[in-house]
Amino acid sequence: MDTKSRSSRQAKAKAASQGLYQRAMKESVLKLDPRVQIRNPVMFLVWIGTIVTALLTINPSLFGPPPDQNPLLFNGLVTLILLFTLLFANFAEAVAEGRGKAQADSLRATQSDSLARKLAQDGTIQEISSTALRKGDVIKVIAGDVIPVDGEVTQGVASVDESAITGESAPVLKQPGTDIASSVTGGTRILSDELTIRVTSDPGKGFIDRMIALVEGAERSKTPNEIALTVLLAVLTQVFLIVIATLSPIANYVNSPVSITVLVSLLVALIPTTIGGLLSAIGIAGMDRVAQFNVIATSGRAVEACGDINTLVLDKTGTITLGNRLAEAFIPVNGYSVKDIAQVALDSSIFDETPEGKSIVSLAERLGVVVTIDRSASDGIDFSARTRMSGTDLPDGTHVRKGAVDAVKGFVRSRGGSIPAELDAEYEHISGLGGTPLAVCQNNDIYGIIYLKDIIKPGIKERFDQLRRMGIRTIMLTGDNRITASVIAREAGVDDFIAEATPEDKIEVIRAEQAKGKLVAMTGDGTNDAPALAQANVGVAMNSGTQAAKEAANMVDLDSDPTKLIDIVTIGKQLLITRGALTTFSIANDIAKYFAIIPAIFAGAGIGKLNVMGLASTQSAVLSALIYNALIIPALIPLALKGVKFRPLTANQLLGRNILIYGLGGVIAPFIAIKALDIIVAAVGLA
Amino acid sequence: METVLRRFWQKRVPRSLLLVLLSAVTIAPTVQAATGISLDRGQVFALVLLGMTTLSLSIYLFVVIVQPERF
Repeated sequence: MDTKSRSSRQAKAKAASQGLYQRAMKESVLKLDPRVQIRNPVMFLVWIGTIVTALLTINPSLFGPPPDQNPLLFNGLVTLILLFTLLFANFAEAVAEGRGKAQADSLRATQSDSLARKLAQDGTIQEISSTALRKGDVIKVIAGDVIPVDGEVTQGVASVDESAITGESAPVLKQPGTDIASSVTGGTRILSDELTIRVTSDPGKGFIDRMIALVEGAERSKTPNEIALTVLLAVLTQVFLIVIATLSPIANYVNSPVSITVLVSLLVALIPTTIGGLLSAIGIAGMDRVAQFNVIATSGRAVEACGDINTLVLDKTGTITLGNRLAEAFIPVNGYSVKDIAQVALDSSIFDETPEGKSIVSLAERLGVVVTIDRSASDGIDFSARTRMSGTDLPDGTHVRKGAVDAVKGFVRSRGGSIPAELDAEYEHISGLGGTPLAVCQNNDIYGIIYLKDIIKPGIKERFDQLRRMGIRTIMLTGDNRITASVIAREAGVDDFIAEATPEDKIEVIRAEQAKGKLVAMTGDGTNDAPALAQANVGVAMNSGTQAAKEAANMVDLDSDPTKLIDIVTIGKQLLITRGALTTFSIANDIAKYFAIIPAIFAGAGIGKLNVMGLASTQSAVLSALIYNALIIPALIPLALKGVKFRPLTANQLLGRNILIYGLGGVIAPFIAIKALDIIVAAVGLA
Repeated sequence: METVLRRFWQKRVPRSLLLVLLSAVTIAPTVQAATGISLDRGQVFALVLLGMTTLSLSIYLFVVIVQPERF
């Protein structure tokens, strides 16, 4: 993703977020609905507590004579603080949801009911509403039209503006049968020429529809980690509920009767309200961060799985090296001249539309070689992963081929040709340089080798170093020979590589890693990547890829940048770390709250020495602890939404660091804050 | 009348509320007997309701622990 498109997207996001906080404030009040609150066990208890203290504010003697002084003011203040605790937690969730909704609104703007030109079987064009289109229909779009639905190009070549979904202003060329450039997305605009498209999704089930549902949270279900954390929080809440419910008889026994308001306050202070209030916001914000990276995840589960990834399976081309390998030199063998091999290389590449093929044509032309064959009477042979060769069949029956050296050797041998001795030496020399050698032959005669230069992406070695420190193993897959692959692997710093890989190897390597108990992530774009994308725990498909790849994957990268897999893993880790850090902080806070409230309640029982903070009175201790409890939620909203700063450390190092910062910080911070609040509460005369 | 009662009984929240209130009416005399004359009838009834709310919350938390994916 280039800087310009990213900054334009950030500007759009900023514009969309205007009014976000006002909407979130309104939402936080609406979320006080008990049907919403019951979904969050911790906050539901706070909600019930607020109702109870509100009733006690109306009638302080509701449950018997109140032991507190000035119960009306005290109960009213507690009710107010509890209400704000609820509102702050709702606000955190509403802000996180609001950011997703703003994104959904901008996506929805790309959708409009328009007229589509449906092609009937007899070839006539019928104008119908785009909502009446069904999977399998064939439509025609011309320059200026918005493509109404997702589909596969079956005819025509045209440039399409995909900026509505990718933010990338450069148009993309769409043409049929190219595996990667043949799929189009509804909501994008055709800029030139015309296309015939076969519809691949029914109305409401297109790519943008799924994206909208996802960012709006319509399909949000709890992730496994969230479920585990919900159980932990419910267990803690249950324990504290039982403790508080049985505290009253003990308090009466030691002659320190406790009011219901104080018991409710103690319960709310002790249950993990901080993480309970921020838990859903952290999850939603994690999804949002992935979406801001222009990646659409099919579920929160997929984002979270990224944080647990142990192995990354990466394609060499486009991920580790720059996508365009360029022809650097022609190296003749068998006594041929450079011009001879350049001529055969040119003949074999005239139908080759890949960047490599075009660079071969360009290099040959720079050497003064011109196309001599009749293009219209010749047949182009496309490259395939199985043959690992491409070329041209000339009208006189001559076959010219270029491709992997062993594949070309096999081709020549099958036609009774011999392999020149110097071929292997040149092959090893180029491979040793980290280049890709392509052998060139005409029928059973090898002419030499084309040296394709691979350029490793800048900064990729440092990224792999980071991943290694995080305990993630990287495996590079390449169709290159073993020597080239090993040189690139060494230079890029990947942990392992698979050379001369076929599409089947991808799925094999994923299965092998999974059999060792590892979680695997991979990227892919072609139809032949679909099984591996489905097999991987995290499969990221490129938006430029085929429909099959996008449907098999659990994430789609709108920028079609395979390197982004590394960023997604980082976001997944950040999500898990943030949740862990705030849980640690929330639970560590309890120590200070114990020391604030318990000694104050049982001062009459002779445990006043435990009042280490020297809090003024029972009521001021309760109010200070509750105010801290409420204020810490909005204070941590930015951290919950932004995520804890990610550092490439091992799990043990991260645990140690987070326990130090959020554990120790969670113990010390409330002592200071509660004492400060107590001084203010006492000075103002609230208690 | 029969239809109204049947429809009322089919709704979970009012049915539960009715059962809770009826239970409170049943338990309240026992609580009053235990607390003596220090609490009036209304306070005892409120206290019983509070106890039943606490018990319901405890049951609710058990359900969350056992079936967390529902919440």
